[in-house]
Amino acid sequence: MGVVHGQEMVLNIGPQHPATHGVLRLQVKTDGEVISEITPYLGYLHRCFEKHCENVSYEQVIPFTDRCDYLASMTMNFGYVVAMEQLMDIKVNDRVQYIRVIMAELQRIASHLLATGVFGLDLGAFTPFLHMLRDRERIIDLFEMTCGARLLYNYMWVGGLSHDLPKGFVEETLRFLDYFEPKVDEFENLLGHNKIFVERTADIGIMPAEVAINYGVTGPNLRASGIKWDLRKDDPYSVYDRLDFDVPIGLGIKGTVGDSWDRFYVRLQEMRQSINIVRQAIDKLPKDGDVHQSMPKKIRPPKGSIYSRTESPRGDLGYYIESDGSDTPYRLKMRSPAFTALGVLNEIAGGWLMSDVLAILGSLDIVLGEIDR
Amino acid sequence: MSEDKQKLINDAVEKALAGDADAVNNIEDRVTRAKAKAALVKAQREQPKKEDSNDDASKPDEKEPPVSNNTVQKVSASLAAKFPKSLDGEQNSDWIQLKPENWFEIAKWLKDNPDFYFDSLQCNTGFDLGEGLLESRYNFHSMKHLHCVEIRIRVSAEKPDIPSVESLWRVADWFERETYDMFGINFTGHSDLRRILLPEDWEGWPLRKDYEEQETYHGIVVPKVKEGWE
Repeated sequence: MGVVHGQEMVLNIGPQHPATHGVLRLQVKTDGEVISEITPYLGYLHRCFEKHCENVSYEQVIPFTDRCDYLASMTMNFGYVVAMEQLMDIKVNDRVQYIRVIMAELQRIASHLLATGVFGLDLGAFTPFLHMLRDRERIIDLFEMTCGARLLYNYMWVGGLSHDLPKGFVEETLRFLDYFEPKVDEFENLLGHNKIFVERTADIGIMPAEVAINYGVTGPNLRASGIKWDLRKDDPYSVYDRLDFDVPIGLGIKGTVGDSWDRFYVRLQEMRQSINIVRQAIDKLPKDGDVHQSMPKKIRPPKGSIYSRTESPRGDLGYYIESDGSDTPYRLKMRSPAFTALGVLNEIAGGWLMSDVLAILGSLDIVLGEIDR
Repeated sequence: MSEDKQKLINDAVEKALAGDADAVNNIEDRVTRAKAKAALVKAQREQPKKEDSNDDASKPDEKEPPVSNNTVQKVSASLAAKFPKSLDGEQNSDWIQLKPENWFEIAKWLKDNPDFYFDSLQCNTGFDLGEGLLESRYNFHSMKHLHCVEIRIRVSAEKPDIPSVESLWRVADWFERETYDMFGINFTGHSDLRRILLPEDWEGWPLRKDYEEQETYHGIVVPKVKEGWE
């Protein structure tokens, strides 16, 4: 008995397609219903981020970083200011550090809520998406309370923050966390143990650990493949070394380690850890400390270069900054975690059915704004 | 009698060490004074020794550079032994400057060598140094040993050929395409070297410092906004 081969067909998904999470074109070669090759075509959202950065001052880069990953603007700011502070050797006070961690972790929850919600939506589960967006709204309200913006914050500045925490922020955040903690269990039951969802994701799109490392996949996608690698633990920046949290990894509960369900579940677990981190950071938040204290009047780093990595909700976010001693960057490169995550798609989706492509793509949690820059 | 003298000497030495230089000189008995002076010299000799030993304890910390620099020096030393002609120009403790010729073999060695085991390519970026020189920079990381190294390869803008490492680290596939797209560095041996972010038929290499936008693209005038960014 030989294998039956159908006629090869080329199929386009996108560029305008609700399940591509932005503007992305996938050229899929199929053999009957089975996928033989996927070629992603990028660049529909290319906005010349790196070229613009060479023409603006270091402060003016921060709003651009917002717009790269518009679903996790806080962590994009965070990565940039951490890199700049390393380059300029600025020490910021503890209040600033803990506020940054609180914001970054709230942002991680918001980003994972959208990622898991949209993942369900891609597979036809509409209700969890609405529940998750409802709770994400409350985090965005917290951000709005802090800096006035709901999506693009420009909140973390080199050496400080744009505003201190407003009155009542801490109480409001604690109220949100108390409300939200049981909701994570609800989401787990609503989506994670839903039979249809499990059937569509468990054992689908398995990414072995070596493949993940070789393709430079990082963040929750790498951890779902069973590798305990988190920059917050392994190369701690800011005050993460003073906080106590776990790094959840994929265990293959519903299928194999590194399948789409594991990637979903790692994100869900990370939300729990982030709640835990925010609680600790609020506990340790110093009462006094000026958030503008360490901000340099003129940002003019010494000659030299730095490659600095931070853990964004999507993985290792790297900034390579080269300074020539003037007040604009000579070269600024952003190493985008979603860029490498999309690169692995052809490798892990080959051989699966057409209907699995969107499940696998959804589980990788890509944001095209960050890929195309 | 001798006990009293001993006590006298000890007190005087203590006072002298504390800063009162006349405490020893004021002793009337010549023999006791001499003994006191000898004891003082001995005590002073011991004191600096203690400081020295403190210094010794702190010196290794100072000598030991941060882990990343240490790795760079280790890799650099082994590279110099293994591929003596591949190092390019002056080396320093932050990165390794290589010539493009043997890059693929060196990359393979960096990845497979059990001492280094750089299994993860974190970042690859192009770089325009001006004066007709381009550079490709690689940031490697080892998941096993948790160390990092940065490697820079310099080529001329007229003949920007660098061997591709796409077959070693698959992530380099798209990284190199992006560097090619923005700088026009030609990665020889790459299986699919196309533009990735810009359209296929775009002209020029945008991130080079001497880049000029094309006038029109498919009949559309390309806007040239040079002012207004400040």
